[in-house]
Amino acid sequence: MALIPSLPLKARLSPLAFQLQARQCLPSRRTLATATEPRPKTPLSKTQKEFLDRALRVNQAGELAATLIYSSQSPPINKAHPHLRPLMKHMYDQEAGHFKKFNELLAKHRVRPTAMYPVWHVAATALGWSTGALGREAAMACTEAVETEIGEHYNSQVRELLAWSDELEGRGEELGDELKVLIQDVRRIRDEELEHLDHAVENDAKEANPYELLTGVIRAGCRGAIWVSERV
Amino acid sequence: MSLPASTLRAVLRTPTNLRPLLLLQHRLGLQSSPRNPSSSTASYHSYDHPAPAPYPPAETAILSAALAHVPTTGFTRTALTTGLREAGYPEISLNLFPKGAFELVRYHLVTQRTQLNTRVQFPDHDSAAPISVGRKVRSLILARLRGNADAGVVGRWQEAVALMSLAENIPASLKELSLLADEMWFLAGDVSVDSSWYTKRASLAGVYAATELFQSTDQSTDFRDTEQFLDRRLEELRTVGGAVSGTIEWMGFQGGAMVNLLRSKGVRI
Repeated sequence: MALIPSLPLKARLSPLAFQLQARQCLPSRRTLATATEPRPKTPLSKTQKEFLDRALRVNQAGELAATLIYSSQSPPINKAHPHLRPLMKHMYDQEAGHFKKFNELLAKHRVRPTAMYPVWHVAATALGWSTGALGREAAMACTEAVETEIGEHYNSQVRELLAWSDELEGRGEELGDELKVLIQDVRRIRDEELEHLDHAVENDAKEANPYELLTGVIRAGCRGAIWVSERV
Repeated sequence: MSLPASTLRAVLRTPTNLRPLLLLQHRLGLQSSPRNPSSSTASYHSYDHPAPAPYPPAETAILSAALAHVPTTGFTRTALTTGLREAGYPEISLNLFPKGAFELVRYHLVTQRTQLNTRVQFPDHDSAAPISVGRKVRSLILARLRGNADAGVVGRWQEAVALMSLAENIPASLKELSLLADEMWFLAGDVSVDSSWYTKRASLAGVYAATELFQSTDQSTDFRDTEQFLDRRLEELRTVGGAVSGTIEWMGFQGGAMVNLLRSKGVRI
């Protein structure tokens, strides 16, 4: 009987109003929890994971090839044109830095390296050595062709990652730090690759003979290698 | 009851006498289509956007209840049915596991693999006496084998091997084995990302599969024989791997020396 007087008090409020009031009285634990710890991020979708998987694998294979091309081009070029030694060393050092970066990323994100690793090893060494032996112009044309393809390739990756970022922002979330850093890294690396392209053109890449054939074949080879490395 | 369009479409496509079953599955919050839990963990591992658990809660409840009966009834449909009953689902939900007892085997493999990082913990690598990667791999293999013993499935493991070697189950089993090898190398802190990535995983998978098979017939106290078997296999691997890498290194060195010799003679290469 003692409980009866309390009933009309509650009954005056509709169920929804009562709930709202109760929620305001109690400092809810949910708001506290969201204030202190970051919200769990949406898991990456299967296609997004696949994209990152492929992108990192291709990038590592590309940088492996680039370091090998420069290191096998350098001895003949340096011997014939000693004034190019600092430039070759500078480009090689940057490529080695990129290669190290992608090796770390692959190990960290548990991405499988390409199964064609030994094949690219041999192919890149052969390409670098043969263009180096052909002379300065051929070597620079090789650099120009490779860096053009790589620049476009990195650009398409940045575009895709920025599209994800926009999509997430549309839903009120944001990209995780690791992906933000990845975008920055890929942008920086792309800029450095395009810088190599400029150096190559400054050093008479266009005067290689036969220019069209050489760059055409190398660019087609690059595209094929990218296609294969994405898959195996 | 509101159904999502895809479920509704599936319901309307099935014959009338089977529709109640599909509706029941939906109400119980179970998935009507079997997924492959191992394929989703294959690629890019994100730290900021963690992947969801390999099994949804309902299946976890059923399969873990069923796994508790494996020591007595083996990897069979009976264990699965008992698990269903204990988890409070009608027996007709058995249709959710089209691969039958193999789902139990895979559940055991997946949970043991994902729990491996909690079973073994290594001190940070900057501590005074760093443990070599080889030692870490050895203790990871032993921890994984101890997982079999703790789950009580060692005596029944040959049934599991028989199920795994059925033609339809071979791809999923091999996938799971490769994921386990990958997990072990990752936990051991190996960061090689060249061709040795493949050889390392292949050789570890081979050693692990052999040792697990040995364990299923091991009668010794505390699986001491299995441990010795494992040590012999690892020793063999070290010998063969050392010889191969030594040969490759020697060939590379000779090749480089030859090229440099020719260059020093003025040959333009």
